[in-house]
Amino acid sequence: MQDSLEFTELLRAIAEDLRSLAPEDQDRLDDLGDALRDAVVIAPEEVLGLAQLLILVRSALQAPESTPEEVRVRLIEASAAALEMALQALSQPGSAAASQQVEAAAQTLEAALRSIYGSEEEESDQERPFDLLPADQDPELMGEFITECREYIQGAEAALLSLEQDPQDTEAINTVFRAFHTIKGTAAFVGVTPVSELAHHAESLLSRIRDGEVHFGGGYADLSLRAADGLKDLFQMLEDALAGQPQTKPDYFDGLLRTLAQPEAYGISGDAGSPEAGASLLADIAGGQDAPRREEEERGAADAAPEQGGRGPRRLASAEPAGEASVRVRTERLDRLIDTVGELVIAHSMVDQDKTVVAGRHFDLQRKVTHLGKIVRELQGLSMSMRMVPLKATFQKMQRLVRDLAHKSGKQVQLITEGEETEIDKNMVDVITDPLVHMIRNAVDHGIEPPDVRAQKGKPRTGTLRLRAYHAEGNVMVQIADDGKGLDRARILEKAVAKGLLESDAGVSDSELLSLIFVPGFSTAEQVTAVSGRGVGMDVVRRNVDAIGGHIDVASRPDQGSTFTLRLPLTLAVTDGMLVNVGGERYIIPTVNIYMTIRPQRYAVSTVAGRGEMVMLRGELLPLVRLHRLFGVEGAVEDPTEGLLVIVDDDARRRCALLVDALLGQQQVVAKPLSEGIGKVQGVAGAAILGDGRVGLILDTAGTAALAKQAPVPVEQEAGQLVRV
Amino acid sequence: MSDKAGAVATRVEPERTTREGSTRAGDRGGKFLTFFLDNEEYGLKILKVQEIFGMMPVTPVPRTPQFILGVINLRGKVIPVMDLRLKFGMAAKAQTEETCIIVVQAQGLEMGVVVDKVSEVLDIPEGDIEDAPSFGAQVNTDFLLGIGKSDGKVKLLLDIDRVLATEDVLLIDTLRQGVPGDAGARAA
Repeated sequence: MQDSLEFTELLRAIAEDLRSLAPEDQDRLDDLGDALRDAVVIAPEEVLGLAQLLILVRSALQAPESTPEEVRVRLIEASAAALEMALQALSQPGSAAASQQVEAAAQTLEAALRSIYGSEEEESDQERPFDLLPADQDPELMGEFITECREYIQGAEAALLSLEQDPQDTEAINTVFRAFHTIKGTAAFVGVTPVSELAHHAESLLSRIRDGEVHFGGGYADLSLRAADGLKDLFQMLEDALAGQPQTKPDYFDGLLRTLAQPEAYGISGDAGSPEAGASLLADIAGGQDAPRREEEERGAADAAPEQGGRGPRRLASAEPAGEASVRVRTERLDRLIDTVGELVIAHSMVDQDKTVVAGRHFDLQRKVTHLGKIVRELQGLSMSMRMVPLKATFQKMQRLVRDLAHKSGKQVQLITEGEETEIDKNMVDVITDPLVHMIRNAVDHGIEPPDVRAQKGKPRTGTLRLRAYHAEGNVMVQIADDGKGLDRARILEKAVAKGLLESDAGVSDSELLSLIFVPGFSTAEQVTAVSGRGVGMDVVRRNVDAIGGHIDVASRPDQGSTFTLRLPLTLAVTDGMLVNVGGERYIIPTVNIYMTIRPQRYAVSTVAGRGEMVMLRGELLPLVRLHRLFGVEGAVEDPTEGLLVIVDDDARRRCALLVDALLGQQQVVAKPLSEGIGKVQGVAGAAILGDGRVGLILDTAGTAALAKQAPVPVEQEAGQLVRV
Repeated sequence: MSDKAGAVATRVEPERTTREGSTRAGDRGGKFLTFFLDNEEYGLKILKVQEIFGMMPVTPVPRTPQFILGVINLRGKVIPVMDLRLKFGMAAKAQTEETCIIVVQAQGLEMGVVVDKVSEVLDIPEGDIEDAPSFGAQVNTDFLLGIGKSDGKVKLLLDIDRVLATEDVLLIDTLRQGVPGDAGARAA
């Protein structure tokens, strides 16, 4: 209410100023422009079209210098009149009536503008330069603007999809509307005209839907989503522009604006029966980016046309929990906090293990230290949890992906998501998005059959894709299951033999055979499409998942579908490691990389060709890597039968044995990058602060093994090149 | 590391001359933190110095140049530590009570620099700083901001950005032998 009063005051002041304004007084005009911009921001949301009207007034006042004076006078008069109408509208009780009046004012002003500018407006509209970034932009403000708007768009997209399921969902349409409205207002405030224009046009389409003027569905749904995409593109471009890359207007931009303004003129309707015209137009709009895709889109739309029934994703639980209050914090600060808390934990454990505390009879002190420990651990848990975010947003992206893929491939697919409230480290979300996209593409493209084929097989015409997240064994599991045709075991075998990966399937378990699909360059797709089948993908998936210490499994049954299960650590920040010592040094080997540790018998160790050492383990010969030699550490155990062998994978996924002195124990460590000052050191994945405050190096086992292969002779520490000064 | 050493970068790229953070002629004067390596006194721009603390256990990192001692834990941050003696091609020296790590901020990163002893903070005006003498084409004096004089004594003022930017050992014997007499004579 306070805002609304303030707004009315501001508006009144502007209107008064306008009345006494001399058309040639450029400074005051500029001031008014600023005031209007402020007004847009605080414009009450209940009165619709208000922000729109203000933007219109502002652009009317910003007539180019060359505008003749009598035209300027008329512009100012029209603006003043419009503002007064708006003021009157605001004084009325009830926002519905006010909204109507405001819209009427906007229409009057628009009409006035048209009559002033005549048909020139249309032309100049075409040739307006595409200035993405305003001249006086503030990079920080712009960054925040982009982040904020992206969130709105994400919300809007989700709401649009659920709206497609249930066009009567007023809550959803309001969400979408609010999102576009806010983006428009903020964009106008920061001066990003293309964004505010696009949002404005999308908003007008949505307002017609909300008012029941048109029925949401068919072409309108596609168009709305296309508008959301357009905004996303713009935000990406904005970000690039901030980074200093020049941007050009996307080809589809003007077309999209025009279509949004008058969808019917371009053959778009909410009628689900004949979406072809609309779809091809949308393909046209999208066509600017990618020509081959366009054909596919048209074909996909045409294929999908006769049956609109089950297409599009469906969510199991559409009731969404109310958003909790939250504060936006810079990730950087959060990371600092987590680091500092980590330090606190270490500092505490140093006090805790201090001789005075442990051995002495200071029971009171011991009690206090224990109490402190409890608080510290709670603080640690809390700070870790701050980085955890629900998978919901990621899953929502997949909804959209499935919808589009199904459209394109002419299949009917519903995506059911479960456990989207499962939380995962924020940094991990980015890492798993790509693998998920790959797998979902594969599932839709190869897994799920076209409707007719499904019908022949006696399956429902609509394929089901299940995306599920849950906690198990201290890990986060993400599962993607389709009910399609499943992986073709025979073809995989054939391909594996052709590629020389296998000789026959004798002694190869199903799961081993199926995991061959993760080998680079291995694709069984019968034809390469724009979406998948190029043999890149699954290996990328595994690489990404491996990189974060996760694991991927695949199971498949003919005609019942395939299931991919990702097992991910709860957080990237904490690595489960085995602390080992080699001479006077301690290293951390990530537990996920360790198959086993053994102390070999003397007869098991042998030398090959007098150089490479091997160890026999269960009938398998593994190369033996002496860590102390590789890393130039003195005073380490030289005899493998007195030390321990840690069995790990090398870079080619063959096992090898690392010789260490002893295991010191298992420990959770916070992985940190090895400082930039040193750069990348092969064999070292990172560093971590150990319990005593010293730094321990985390080994990259694959890298270490690869290193041993390159340098079978011990590597001395090298002195750099000498330079005379 | 072999690739690093293989690149015989005897000279820092000329572009780096204008690089931000690399203070060049004109505004060299100001406060310097001085420290000792053997009997020679060196100076670092105080603005480059983040903090100083006594020697602490350093974790060696394999396969790095010898002058990189390893990494330390600086309040939860992992930062590398360089032994300036080794960097300058001097003989290694056992740690003493006075051995210090100076944490500098240069080249956009933090780096610990081990020195024999930290001395004092000196104000050396531009007028008391001379250009490092040139020793012809094969001798590189880019690593010095200049030679500072204070109380008749000579301080070698380091351009720490340049020192860190090169991955090679710097031999400054020649300079040390050549300068003091020269500068001392002028100061007298």
